[in-house]
Amino acid sequence: MILEKDVVVVGAGPAGLAAAIEAAKAGAAVLLVDLNLKAGGQLFKQIHKFFGSRAHYSGTRGYDIGKKLVKEATESQVEIWLQSTAVGVFPGNKVSIERILQNGGKKLYTVHGKTIILATGASENVVRFKGWTRPGVMGAGAAQTMVNVDHVKPGQKIVMLGSGNVGLIVSYQLMQAGCDVVALVEAAPKIGGYAVHAAKIRRAGVPIFTKHTIVEALGDAEGKVSGAVIAEVDEKFQPIPGTEQTIPCDTITLAAGLKPVVELTRLMNCASAFEPVLGGFIPMHNQDMETSVQGIFVAGDATGVEEASVALEEGRIAGVAAAQALGLLSQEDAESQKQFYWNRVNSLRSGPFGEKRLAAKQDVLQCYQEQIHTPQPEVMIGGLASGAD
Amino acid sequence: MIYDVTVIGAGAIGTSVAYHLCQKGFSVALIDHGDIANGSSSHCDAVALISDKAPGLDTQMGYASIQHYGELAKTFSYDFEYDRKGCLYVCETEEEYAAASAYAKRQASDGYDMHMVDAQTLQEMEPFLAKDLLGGIWTPGDIAVCPYKVCFAFVEEGKKQGLQVYPYTHISRIRLSADHAVEAVETDRGDILTKRVINCAGVWAPDVGRLVGLEIPIQPRKGMNLISEPTERIVWHKVMEFGYMMSKFESINFRRNVSPLVEEYNVAFNIEYTKADNILLGGYRGFRGFDVRSELEAMQAIAERGIRFYPCLKEINCIRSYAGVRPYVKDHLPIVSAVDTIPGFYIAAGHEGDGICLSPITGKLMAQLVAGEPTDFDIQKLSFSRFANAQQTA
Repeated sequence: MILEKDVVVVGAGPAGLAAAIEAAKAGAAVLLVDLNLKAGGQLFKQIHKFFGSRAHYSGTRGYDIGKKLVKEATESQVEIWLQSTAVGVFPGNKVSIERILQNGGKKLYTVHGKTIILATGASENVVRFKGWTRPGVMGAGAAQTMVNVDHVKPGQKIVMLGSGNVGLIVSYQLMQAGCDVVALVEAAPKIGGYAVHAAKIRRAGVPIFTKHTIVEALGDAEGKVSGAVIAEVDEKFQPIPGTEQTIPCDTITLAAGLKPVVELTRLMNCASAFEPVLGGFIPMHNQDMETSVQGIFVAGDATGVEEASVALEEGRIAGVAAAQALGLLSQEDAESQKQFYWNRVNSLRSGPFGEKRLAAKQDVLQCYQEQIHTPQPEVMIGGLASGAD
Repeated sequence: MIYDVTVIGAGAIGTSVAYHLCQKGFSVALIDHGDIANGSSSHCDAVALISDKAPGLDTQMGYASIQHYGELAKTFSYDFEYDRKGCLYVCETEEEYAAASAYAKRQASDGYDMHMVDAQTLQEMEPFLAKDLLGGIWTPGDIAVCPYKVCFAFVEEGKKQGLQVYPYTHISRIRLSADHAVEAVETDRGDILTKRVINCAGVWAPDVGRLVGLEIPIQPRKGMNLISEPTERIVWHKVMEFGYMMSKFESINFRRNVSPLVEEYNVAFNIEYTKADNILLGGYRGFRGFDVRSELEAMQAIAERGIRFYPCLKEINCIRSYAGVRPYVKDHLPIVSAVDTIPGFYIAAGHEGDGICLSPITGKLMAQLVAGEPTDFDIQKLSFSRFANAQQTA
C-alpha cells in the first residue's frame, strides 16, 4: 500500500524541521522522517551558544533551538517518524522508508509525496593513514555525539586531527567531558577555525602541532589505538621523513571536513555541480531550493556544508516553495516570505568564510539558470514499452 | 603516429578486441568517453553460460568463449575471478521439464556436457531450493567472472603489448578520406590518426555509427538486479528458472504460473553468490531508454520471484539494487562485422545480455577479421549487411 502525503521531508535536522514547519503552517500534510531516535539533527549535540543576530537564535544553545523547532513542528501538525530511514527514492516521487516499530521489528513503507524535500545533511570525511581502521579512530562528529548526546567518553587520551571549527569545538567539549586532548594536529601552517574557539584550546594548554599530520595509528595487543605517530609536512603536505614522533593516546578523532549527503538526489537524477568550498558534489538548485527535477526540493548541508542557521533559513525557503508549488500559498504571499528568508540567509553569508560560500552558492544559482532554467517534470516510467519488441 | 586500429568503447567487448589485436601485433588505441568498464560491463551480472544459448552457432561461440576464459585465467597475471561454478536451470512444471529435457538432449547430442538432474539430485546440489521443483538442466562447465575485472585484465595485459588507452575522451568526428576510408578520429584530446576504427560502443554504438552516416539498430534494454547483505552460503551454483529462456528467446512460449507483478516486469529468476558473500538476485529486462533508475515495483517483483525458488531469501536483507542497459538487437545476434561501404570501419556490438560471455571470442574473431585470416566460425549471420538486406526485402 502506498501512503499519500503533500510533502515528504527526509531528515529532521534544522533544515528539515524548518521546511516541514513552513509547509505544514501553509496547510500541507507533511511527513517528516529521520533515522535517529530524536528529531533535531546535529543541533542536539551543539551545547555551545550560537553567534549572530537574534533572528538566528544568538545566545541560545543548539539543543534548545532543537527543542523549540520540534515543539513548533508538532504544534503545526507535522507527522514525525523517527528511527525511520529513507532507503530509496523511486520514479514517480515514491520514497521507501524502513521504520523501526515499537516491538523492535522493521517495516517498509512506501510514501508518495506530491513534493519531496531532501534535507539529508552531511557526513564526515575520513583521512586515511596506516591503521586508520583501528577501533579508537573516529570522526570528530561521532566523538561529539558520544559526549554530548550519549554522555559516554570515547576514550581518555585524545589526539585530534584538524583545527577547523569542528576540531576546535569538539576538542573543547571533550575536555569539558573529562577527556585529555593530548595533541591538536593541523597540516596547514596555522589554525583554521575562529580565533575565539582556538583561544579556549590554547588557554587549556593543549599542545598544538601545526604543519603536522598523522602518519600512523599504533595499536595494542588487541588492535585498539595505543598511539599516534605524527610527522611534519612539507609545502605539498607530504610527511618529511625523520620528523616522526609518537604520542601515546587511546583515541584519534578526525575533523577533516564534511561532505553533503547526496545519494537520494542522485537516485532522482537531479543535476549536480562540484563546489569544493561547499564540500564537493551538491545538487543544483534555484531560488526556490528546487532541484532540476520538478517537485524535488533540497535544503541545508545536503546542498553545501554551511552552518545550522543557514540550514534553517534554507529549510524555510524550501518549505514555503513546496507549499507554493502545491497551490497552498498565493504567489504574492510566497514570494514575500521567500524574500524575507533569503535576506536572512545572505546576511549569514558574510565575513571571510561566508563570502566564499556566498560566491559558491551564487555560482550554483547561476549555473542552474544557464543550464536548467526551469525544473523539468520527472519522466514517469510507465508499463513495458512495446516499441522495440 | 598512425595507429593500425582505434577501438571505440572500453567495455567487455572493446577491451577484448583491443587485447586480441595487440596479440596479433597491431598498434592499437582504445578510447572511451568514460573510464574502463564505465557502462554496461559494470552494471550487469557475472556469468558466462552455454546453458542459456540456442543450439547451433550461439552455443558454439559461447562454448569457445568460455574455454578461452579458462586459458586467459591461467595466463593473465590480472585476476578476474574466474569461477567454474556450473549452472542449474530449474523446472517448475512437467511441461517445462519436458521442454528442458528436449533442449538438454539436443545440446548433449552436439557434444556439450549438459544433462538433466532429478528433484532429489537438485536438493542435494542446492539444499535451500524450494522443495516442489521437478528437476533441472545441469551444465557443469558454465562459469562466472567479475565483469569489470575482465575489462581491466584485458587492458592491463594489452598494455604489456603496447596498447594505448584514452579514457574520458570524447569523439567529435570520424574523418574519412576522399575514397571514403577511415583516416582519423577527432577528439577533445586531439586527433588520433588511424587506419581502422572498430565500433565497440555497445548501447552507444548507434551514436558512433551516426558519425559515419550509419544507422546501427541497437537499442538500450534495461536489466536490473538486487544485491543482498553478505550471508552464509545458501547457493552454490548459478541457478536460474527455465522460464528465463522465455524472456530471452521470445519464440519459446511458456506460460508461467506467476503473479501479475512478476508478469508485468517480465521477471526471470536467477541467483548467484559473489566472492564477497553477497547474493546477486535477478532479474528484470525492459525498454526504458537510458533511464537506469531502480524501479520499486521491479525490485518487489524480483524479490517475490526469488523467494518462490529460495524461500529463505525472505530472511535476508536486500542492501542495494542496480540497473544497466544491454545493447539489444531485434534478432538477438550481435554484430561482428566489417562495414562494406566504409573501408576500415568495423562493428563489434549488440551482444545484449551476452557481452560478458562472448567477450573473449568476439575479440578473437574480430582480430582474425582485421588480420584477414579465416575466422574460427562462419560469422556471416553476424554481419552488418543483414540489416540492409532486411530493409530492402521489407
